[in-house]
Amino acid sequence: MAETTFMGVPREKIDWSPRIDYTKCNYCMECVKFCPHDVYEIREGEEKKLIVKNPNNCVVFCRACGKTCGVDALSFPNKNETTKMIKELRKEMEGNE
Amino acid sequence: MSKSYALLPCNGLDKCAGCISREVAIKVCENSDSEIICPVLYRVADARYNKIAQEKPLIVIDGCNTRCASRLASEKSLKIAQKINISDEAKANNIELHNSLKLNDEDFKLVNIIADNLLKEEEKVISSLDTDFPEKFEYEIYKKDKFIFRVPKEGFYFNENDCYVYVVGNRARIGVTDYVQQSLSDIMFFTPPAVGSEIEQFGEAGTIESGKAVFEVVSPVSGTVVAVNEKLLNSPELINENPYEKGWIEEIELSDFESDKELLYDFNKYFEIMKRKVDEFHV
Ligand code: SF4
Ligand code: SF4
Repeated sequence: MAETTFMGVPREKIDWSPRIDYTKCNYCMECVKFCPHDVYEIREGEEKKLIVKNPNNCVVFCRACGKTCGVDALSFPNKNETTKMIKELRKEMEGNE
Repeated sequence: MSKSYALLPCNGLDKCAGCISREVAIKVCENSDSEIICPVLYRVADARYNKIAQEKPLIVIDGCNTRCASRLASEKSLKIAQKINISDEAKANNIELHNSLKLNDEDFKLVNIIADNLLKEEEKVISSLDTDFPEKFEYEIYKKDKFIFRVPKEGFYFNENDCYVYVVGNRARIGVTDYVQQSLSDIMFFTPPAVGSEIEQFGEAGTIESGKAVFEVVSPVSGTVVAVNEKLLNSPELINENPYEKGWIEEIELSDFESDKELLYDFNKYFEIMKRKVDEFHV
């Protein structure tokens, strides 16, 4: 089962997942092999043979698959901004209670 | 006094960064008493290199994150004294790597920078502090097959990324949990963050690495790095032995722990999360 909240914040409100730079990716699939969270999907026969299918399965603040990519095609959102955003969302939610 | 290393470049022939790794090794070799280990020959006939690989401090030079040279070193159970990643060095020096396999002037500039750094006599001094951190903790244990996952019961906080913090006064020790060390298996290299650097909560606080993967330590707290566990530089396996005691990673002077704490788990919650991860993912 995928985690649906992160520190009390609905996961889908947090923008954290790998971005694939298709000008660099050579479809070696090391990242797919590495991640156990079913984030990526391989699409045989299509131009983009790899997509980020389930961005919300990605563990917030994890960047591990990026370190397996030999051509540096994976990037992630800014961590500080993401932390700030999560804190704001939590405040908002408290205010709504 | 001339330096004397064993140099293991990835020598990746199909990539610019791999070609640079080889040039760096050659340059260091020409200017010191070092020897090059050919990764291709080493793989098939290691007798040729076993002696130098064990006697001299080993510098592993990877072209890119595929880490072919590091993985080879791990396969052969070598102790790594230092690691260079050409792609990271290129970025740090604002040099753009290209696709051509013929090296240009910029590439040679990078070769020179890296080689000169390696040749420079420089002893890293890392400050170590005497603070009062306990040497032993009590653990709750979760077992799966032959693997044992410990989580300390009192005084620790954790983040979702399997890193912990233990606070004493306005200072904290951070490290990774048993889940990380079991997943990585034999840890062979630790890259510390710079002492004195400031870290935000969830920022990168160094990396640890095994033959399997590189793990980014995700800092559970914000503050200033005041010390790193220098024992890990020579004995990263201490993290495998016990990541909460002798295998701690670094000490941080806290800047706002009350606010950081809002985004951390206590023992009960983390133990639950970890058990689920072990059941779902640990193979
Ligand atoms: S590891 Fe990098 S190059 Fe390989 S498939 Fe993933 S993004 Fe593409
Ligand atoms: S960042 Fe971590 S969780 Fe996210 S896709 Fe990569 S390995 Fe998987």
